[in-house]
Amino acid sequence: MKFRGKIIDVACLNHFSRVVTTISRLTKTCVLRLTPDHLFFILSGKVSNGGVSMWCELLQVNFFDEYQMDGVSSEFNEICLEVSPENLSRALKTVQSAKSVKIKLTKKHCPCLTITAELPTLSSISRVVTHDVPVDVVPRSLWHEFKEPSVPDFDVSIYLPPLKTMKNVVDRMKNLSNFLVMEANMNGDMNLKIQTDLVSVTTHFRDLGNPPWGGDTSQDGAASQSRDPEDMAEVRVDIRKLQQFLVGQQVNPSRAMCNLVHQNVVHLVLLHEDVSLQYFLPAVA
Amino acid sequence: MNCVIEGSCIKVFGKAVHALSRIGDELWLDPMVKGLALRSVSSALSAYGGFLFSPLFFQQYSLRSLSEQHRQAIKCKVLMKSVLSLFRCLTSIERSVQECHISITTPTDRVMIQFICRHGITKTHNLSFQESEAVEAMFATHLCPNVLKAPARLLGDMVAHFPVFQEEITLSTTPLKVCLRNYQEGGKGHMKMTCTEMSLHPDEFDHFQIGEDSDITFCLKELRGILSFAASHCLPVSVHFGAAGNPVCFSVKDEVVDATVVLATLNNSESRGPPQPETPAPATPRCADAAVLPVGVCEEHERVLSSQGSPEWIHPLPRISGPTRLCEAEECASTTATPASTKICSLLFKALSSEEEDDEDDGCTARLPVLARYSDEDENDEDYPARSSTVRVEF
Repeated sequence: MKFRGKIIDVACLNHFSRVVTTISRLTKTCVLRLTPDHLFFILSGKVSNGGVSMWCELLQVNFFDEYQMDGVSSEFNEICLEVSPENLSRALKTVQSAKSVKIKLTKKHCPCLTITAELPTLSSISRVVTHDVPVDVVPRSLWHEFKEPSVPDFDVSIYLPPLKTMKNVVDRMKNLSNFLVMEANMNGDMNLKIQTDLVSVTTHFRDLGNPPWGGDTSQDGAASQSRDPEDMAEVRVDIRKLQQFLVGQQVNPSRAMCNLVHQNVVHLVLLHEDVSLQYFLPAVA
Repeated sequence: MNCVIEGSCIKVFGKAVHALSRIGDELWLDPMVKGLALRSVSSALSAYGGFLFSPLFFQQYSLRSLSEQHRQAIKCKVLMKSVLSLFRCLTSIERSVQECHISITTPTDRVMIQFICRHGITKTHNLSFQESEAVEAMFATHLCPNVLKAPARLLGDMVAHFPVFQEEITLSTTPLKVCLRNYQEGGKGHMKMTCTEMSLHPDEFDHFQIGEDSDITFCLKELRGILSFAASHCLPVSVHFGAAGNPVCFSVKDEVVDATVVLATLNNSESRGPPQPETPAPATPRCADAAVLPVGVCEEHERVLSSQGSPEWIHPLPRISGPTRLCEAEECASTTATPASTKICSLLFKALSSEEEDDEDDGCTARLPVLARYSDEDENDEDYPARSSTVRVEF
């Protein structure tokens, strides 16, 4: 198993660090899956993290100037590592001004992702900073847990309002209640509702627009077409998990949308130029 | 003592308070003829920080008011938290405060810190103080085999690579390079931490003198304060150190400010024992003994015994016999955390200050009762005067 990548471009390094920082805000540990063309940051939905799952896909060539890997075997040319994204993020944050950053899979006292950065100095000799981030190799027997999630058979798909606005609303609501109801319809309307014994608050968003999925993702094409556009699909979610997702976003995505399966799951999809992030929030009773 | 600080110097003063707040919980104010010294010592007695502001730094500086000509200038300590809260937001101080008046007077039993701000606003803060002899760590920098002088930002930039929670770092030096890495105590739990390492070339230093290869481990948190101070004033930082176990001294100097931080280093040759606080100059970070500057081997063995917690070990006392041997005693002695030892510490500190200010010294014996009171109060928190900080805004 070998992995060696090198980033030279400052903008790419910056972008990569920001992605890792976003991931670090969503979860304490995740699985980094390396394939010849992609990097994936994966969190599989488990009871321990409240059923939340995440899938983040990066196209390797958009970040790395050099990228070489040898997977577990020629048949399974992939590497799966369990890593703490916060450690990675911290290591990358400090080397933003580096001339070059190399990331390698190494074995020190334990398997590590070694980040070696060459920092510019006034003299001709470069300063070298090394961070050894400990990782755990995920055995092949567990790889089935980290497969790309399929888009759920959603009832409503809608574009999200500006994430900053959403974050402000959710921040205020978090003080009042632990659970929030997200509802939306195919007419571009979305409501965020909380309800307690004393108070109920609803924030209405209008004219958001609905992505044209065209029925190719929905298995039950006929049913979704016959759906009344005013019909709201709603999901009750843990407000802290939603807030965690919104807080982590540092860059405005080119596309942000949300798929709702009525009383089942919220599927949030953010698309940037070279990164896509999917986040699944299960419904809570 | 009365002094007035004007304009941009207030921010410098505030930065010094910030740097010292990383070291200890109490701030010693030591007005002397050569200037006002701010000092702090960590509770484990493993770190010392001192900022000496020369009279030139102040717009006005007088040790005694006319009514106090017959008394010595009061030396005291105040709670760091109280002073830090006054200087916490340096940017707003820079914007609005024009003058800062500091005075220590006995009639009121308070340290008065007054900010004359814009728009005719005056903020007066009165902090209660506790009279206390000055503390100072004795450190013979000229005896250190290794001396580095780093340009202002270099060390600060280097330690920025370590996470904020990193407790200790190791500085390894050979004549060919300087290497900094984070220090992790043994144990499986720590296997999962990121290891960070960086190396610097001798050319990056203004002055590079390595007499002997060394590997010293010291507390990073306590160091960050002075590095940030140096960086904000673009002053180079001098580092004096020796072998592991000997303290390391970081100092920053310019015409009006002289800042020093002395940190104990881990003594690698000894096995880790239970945490034992010891006196600053030869002190240790939380565990193991620290050897000190040129002392014979027998000294170390004795200190091993002490670190194993023998309360009967009062070896330092015979050394504190006369003024001439005080400095040596300071350097050689180390104690365990018993009431007896705090007396010893205070004896050493007191002895030092009387050593320094012979002109004001009334004689050692006359001072001893003060010491006993100091160490008693140290053990008994209720005796500490209640803090009161009153703010009066006048228009």
